[in-house]
Amino acid sequence: MQLLFAVFIFFFTLTLQAQEKVTISGYINDAENGESLIGATVFITNTQSGTLSNEYGFYSITLEPGAYQVEYRYLGYETIVRDINLTANQRIDLELGETGVELIEVVVTAEPEDINVSGVQMSTQKLDIQTISKLPSFLGEVDVIKSIQTLPGVSTVGEGASGFNVRGGSVGQSLVLLDEAPVYNSSHLLGFFSVFNPDAVKDVKLIKGGIPSRYGGRIASILDIRMKEGNSKKFATQGGVGTIFSRLALEAPIIKDKASFIIAGRRSYADILAKPFTDVLDDGAQLNFWDLTIKTNYNVNEKNRLFLSGYLGRDVFKFDAQQGFSWGNQTVTARWNHLFSDRLFANFTFFYSNYDYELSFGEDEFDRFDWDSQIRNLAFKPELSYFINPENKLTFGGELLRHEFEPANAVGVSNGESTDISTPAKQALEMAVYVGNDQKIGSKLDLQYGVRFSNFRLLGEGNEYEFDTSVPKGFRQPITNITTFDRGETIESYSNFEPRFSLKYQLDGASSVKASYNRMVQYIHLISNTTASNPLDIWTPSTNNILPELGDQVAVGYFRNFGEDNDIETSVELYYRKTQNQIDYIDGADILINKFLEGDLLPGDGRAYGMELFLKKNSGKLNGYISYTLARTELQVEGINNDDWYPTRYDQTHNFKVSLFYEPTERWDFSANFSYISGTPTTFPTTRFTVQDYVIPYINGNGRNNVRIPDFHRLDVAATLHGKKVKKNGKVRKNEDYWVFSVYNVYNRRNPFSIYFAQADEIPSDAAAIPTQATRVAIIGSIVPAVSYNFKF
Amino acid sequence: MKNIILFISALVIIFFVSTSCEDDISSEVRLETSPELVVIDAWINNKPEPQTIQVNASQSYFDNSGLIGLSGAEVVVLDESGKQYLFEEGEQGAYIWTPTAGETFGTVGQNYALAVTYNGVTYGSVSSMNRVPPIDSITFRFEEANAFLEDSYFAEFWARDPVGAGDSYWVKTWKNEEYLGAPDQINIAFDAGFSQGGAVDGLIFIPPIRDAINPFEDEDGTFLSPYAVGDSIYVELHAIPNEAAFFLNEVRLQTDRPGGFGELFASPLSNVPTNIVASDGETEVLGFFTVSAVSSLGRRFE
Repeated sequence: MQLLFAVFIFFFTLTLQAQEKVTISGYINDAENGESLIGATVFITNTQSGTLSNEYGFYSITLEPGAYQVEYRYLGYETIVRDINLTANQRIDLELGETGVELIEVVVTAEPEDINVSGVQMSTQKLDIQTISKLPSFLGEVDVIKSIQTLPGVSTVGEGASGFNVRGGSVGQSLVLLDEAPVYNSSHLLGFFSVFNPDAVKDVKLIKGGIPSRYGGRIASILDIRMKEGNSKKFATQGGVGTIFSRLALEAPIIKDKASFIIAGRRSYADILAKPFTDVLDDGAQLNFWDLTIKTNYNVNEKNRLFLSGYLGRDVFKFDAQQGFSWGNQTVTARWNHLFSDRLFANFTFFYSNYDYELSFGEDEFDRFDWDSQIRNLAFKPELSYFINPENKLTFGGELLRHEFEPANAVGVSNGESTDISTPAKQALEMAVYVGNDQKIGSKLDLQYGVRFSNFRLLGEGNEYEFDTSVPKGFRQPITNITTFDRGETIESYSNFEPRFSLKYQLDGASSVKASYNRMVQYIHLISNTTASNPLDIWTPSTNNILPELGDQVAVGYFRNFGEDNDIETSVELYYRKTQNQIDYIDGADILINKFLEGDLLPGDGRAYGMELFLKKNSGKLNGYISYTLARTELQVEGINNDDWYPTRYDQTHNFKVSLFYEPTERWDFSANFSYISGTPTTFPTTRFTVQDYVIPYINGNGRNNVRIPDFHRLDVAATLHGKKVKKNGKVRKNEDYWVFSVYNVYNRRNPFSIYFAQADEIPSDAAAIPTQATRVAIIGSIVPAVSYNFKF
Repeated sequence: MKNIILFISALVIIFFVSTSCEDDISSEVRLETSPELVVIDAWINNKPEPQTIQVNASQSYFDNSGLIGLSGAEVVVLDESGKQYLFEEGEQGAYIWTPTAGETFGTVGQNYALAVTYNGVTYGSVSSMNRVPPIDSITFRFEEANAFLEDSYFAEFWARDPVGAGDSYWVKTWKNEEYLGAPDQINIAFDAGFSQGGAVDGLIFIPPIRDAINPFEDEDGTFLSPYAVGDSIYVELHAIPNEAAFFLNEVRLQTDRPGGFGELFASPLSNVPTNIVASDGETEVLGFFTVSAVSSLGRRFE
């Protein structure tokens, strides 16, 4: 409360100070489709100061009254310059056109984009959907999650694995937000494709470090995905037929320039094609996955805008009408942008997010097993941005998040007798208030600092479990006591201050140094003890036994641009991250349908450090980027690896990736993607012994991840053939279409995913001499060509 | 449960993208060397037959030359009353206790201690003989062919777990007198269900467990009928202590590696536990000691 009061006083004093100044504010949109432009630059040439448009395209800049020249810039768009005689507050809503689009406004050549050098934010990477679409992809399916894996500091356990790992964080330590709602499982088909429909995605931002105080809840990174608002100028359709998905997206104005919508759907269609040729899909069997993204917005008036967006996706695998497995996410986000004044921008977000899965087995109603699980969120997030003056932008807000966990609702029926083996539901309330300021001191020093105060309460009704902690670490702790709490009672509560700080110092026009520190706290935990995370993994709240995960990261970086138009960006960043209360598992942990799960978990510490190099060429016929990461990620858990540090399964010493785009003609584009990644760690046995005719591997010294599998390298290429722009009769075609031909794993390498040890399948008559072998597995062990057809009109 | 999920996952992925592949690289892999350890494989039961405890040496992982039996050990099992069962050395590390006519090993409800002395070190452990319910019947069920299966006969065994949580079982099956001993055929039950926390108690064994006595062999992607007319089946239900069930669960995790796409969801390789300790408190020893009461039933499919 005191904190809030301090914020209020601060805010109030600033308001008083700034009385005589005047403000220019407004929204910046795309001239062609009315989409708001996120991160467009508003630059005052006279004062050499500026600001960026926010997530909703809003900007505000406060100045002394006077005459100014204002430039509006956005990469790939024509710059607009306005001369403004500022005597009173002025609202300027603006539309920028893509380069090449004719505009009535005065146009100058685009000023060099140097935000990577001049911006205070480090360890942050933006990928626009155009770049994502151009990257060669597996089976030609454009994939948001796979594309961010081309960036420095991002790794995975291997091909086909769901999620991603940032700067040594596990999959569950990255927060994936779709229009501000968390998405708990970002994969279709167990990890081969991501759940985001590229036709509906506008902007993707990955924040790996120097995380602003407005974000919280996970300790490694934030992946902030924003959906398109829908074309507010004219009806537009896009879609395509790929190897896996068929896609269709419709967008249109509801009221021109005031309200619009987009609806985008995708579905796998292999089952539909296969149906005439197989009886697999008779008797109610289903094999498909799909997603649907809907968004609409309404500009009520100059001061109010409303947005409503939703996502619905599901993977369905059924043997017959009664038996099978399905999972999916649902999110709904409602937002209200309100301008309290030209300088005080507010956004109120309500969201709902749900992830669930269900399994059913059984011959008939007398012998069945039905099992489902879900995690649900309901949240309210107010946020205010106060544009005090060109030197200060204050952001403050809060978050109230209700978590509901149903780890397992499971009922078994055996010969007509039914048993409920469900584990109890859990609920929790996560609250946060935060304040942050973006401050410029002189022309060289920029600061971004803030603090987030978070509180987490595990609420009844529910149980508090106590375990026998005298058991040697690494073994199951038996339950010793259960205390039951009533509805609404607090079972356990945690509070934390999370300071955040970033600094930029401009060395000269083309280079800067940056540094940052952030503390992140994570109160809910992904429970997964398999190599890759899978759809059955559950999330569990912090309890008296599971402490919140804490992550502290420091990073420093040097940023420099080259070339006449600053079109070559380079950066080097060093980071060190220390984490506490990471979760690992006892051997043989029972993580599904287990009331006493907490007795199978082991807390530990983590450390991750590394160097990231990034080089990007923005323009020219040949452009692209190169990422290199030198890194180490280790855990220390009592009860594993003799309590010594051991590398995580996704620890990659060298991670080198090149993504190149070549656009020689109007009709042909080419792209290529090359990765070279050091082998990931795994555990090899030394010894075998036999018990009851089973040959059991044994690791002398009881190490974990003591060897590395061979290095990984792969080349993918793609070519895009654009349809003719002009018809035979000379008329310009209204619709655009293009073919994408892609080849994944061009030189057909069997890249190792893992090496496993097992007894051979054949059991000889003399069981004593059972042969043992080592097997190397390649998940995508061959060249995979694909073709897709896409259209837009 | 995990097996079923892996099975579904594999099917699903094969349906969409069949690109995974495996290579035997045993000849390329270099493993670290390790010292030879004593291995005690002591699973004895109350069947009316000689009981064997195997004392072996561990081997390097790729050594396929057969067991290395250790000779000269003293092997004895004691019950609560102090009665000694002496296991006499046979061939190749086998130590055997032979019952007299009509005698069986042990009594349900009693605790037993194992003592193996080898090279001056004594290795000890304890176990208990728990209650076992009878197997009431074995039935065969017909299922029509579908995409994954030809016309098939599945066997099921019927037994009811006694009321009271904490029982655990190892279900062992023989088809045509051949033991179904592959790692993925390890069939464990906690009470009548899957896991201890699950608390399925006092029921007829649930379907996945009573069904897991069917061997699956596939031919060109279609599973063959587990049983055909004329086949025989023999099922043994071993009541084992909880820790022995955990041990077997771990053995299954460490030996039944799914391979292929299943590797995405594999657990890390780790050492299985042992319930045997050395008297000097430091010598490492491998293996497990379990005493079980057994019920059994056989049937020929006609």
